Amino acid sequence: MLRAGCRSVLGLGRQKHQAQALVRLYHERVVDHYNNPRNVGSFDKNDPNVGTGLVGAPACGDVMKLQIKVDDETGKIVDACFKTFGCGSAIASSSVATEWVKGKQMEEVVTIKNTEIAKHLSLPPVKLHCSMLAEDAIKAAIKDYEVKRAKLGSSAEAAPVEKAADA
Amino acid sequence: MAPPSSSKLFSLRRLLVELKSSNSSCSYPCRVYRNYSPIALLSSSPLLQQSSRAPEFSENAFASPAPSFYRGFCSQPLNLDNGAQGPAAIDYSSLLPEEEFHSLADATINDLQEKFESGRREEILERGKGSNDFERIEGGVEYGDFIEMDGFDIDYGNQVLTLKLGNLGTYVLNKQTPNRQIWLSSPVSGPSRFDWDISSQTWVYRRTKANLLQLFERELEQLCGKPISLS
Repeated sequence: MLRAGCRSVLGLGRQKHQAQALVRLYHERVVDHYNNPRNVGSFDKNDPNVGTGLVGAPACGDVMKLQIKVDDETGKIVDACFKTFGCGSAIASSSVATEWVKGKQMEEVVTIKNTEIAKHLSLPPVKLHCSMLAEDAIKAAIKDYEVKRAKLGSSAEAAPVEKAADA
Repeated sequence: MAPPSSSKLFSLRRLLVELKSSNSSCSYPCRVYRNYSPIALLSSSPLLQQSSRAPEFSENAFASPAPSFYRGFCSQPLNLDNGAQGPAAIDYSSLLPEEEFHSLADATINDLQEKFESGRREEILERGKGSNDFERIEGGVEYGDFIEMDGFDIDYGNQVLTLKLGNLGTYVLNKQTPNRQIWLSSPVSGPSRFDWDISSQTWVYRRTKANLLQLFERELEQLCGKPISLS
């Protein structure tokens, strides 16, 4: 009788555990980005066309480096890559970020919101911070590129930077 | 299913080495990367051209709306003019000693938990419609009972406070000790990171100037339709 009792308790326990496990599964998009991350790599930091955004801190558990390669004349992001140290959601968020910035204008890209990334990956509440970090990484990369351009163009015509700022 | 662990480790190691080397070349003694809201980002760009006015830039940066601070690494020293600066170097440990942070943060989180769980010592006020009369409900009323919600749940485990509001969403509140911050995830406003503001003695999200307790009050009333007093 004891054994039957135990079995039923265990059976119930197993059910509850399963239910909880279901809730915690990664969304398939996150798994996909984790297994097949897009655009992993790095560009030459010193390339004038490259903007590098480095956000986060190891102590917090997440570090993202997102780099963009910008076409000077058009202000369009022609290539992007990332390297992330962190959880699956952080990796997926930054991977999605690199996908979304490619082929877009810089001004357009600063409007990418963490909520869009989180929705796309169906991130659970506790992982929303990863998507915000990805958004910050994009902005940091843009800013870095602008700083570089400003330094280079401080004596020359600074029209491209102004255009980006006015947008 | 996972990528080969050895190559992953190798690339992680390289990333960390890169971080260390970029950090050592950083002009600031303390490692902080200041992040700007989009408005500040775009509006500050013209200022960057005027390298001779770097001090102005940093002043404006302070005045610009709610920048958020991370303890991170500078991607490149922002010396427009040999080390003069954009972001100020902030040493989080000197701002708020860890012990003090823990006691402040724990107090805030426990307080919130109590208020959600029980109205024992607190009163939950319900304003009569269109009148100034207050109907006070005293006693052990959980906010969940008060708003008559199914799927209302409060959990505090591993120093993380989780507030489930059924189908309306879940709040997660936790401490982020390295940054001396409280991190909140809200179904309404998404992620936010609150710093302790000494002058107002409250937790404030620098980007939006939101106050933690007021944000909860506002959002809970919006979500559940009934007010709650947390301040």
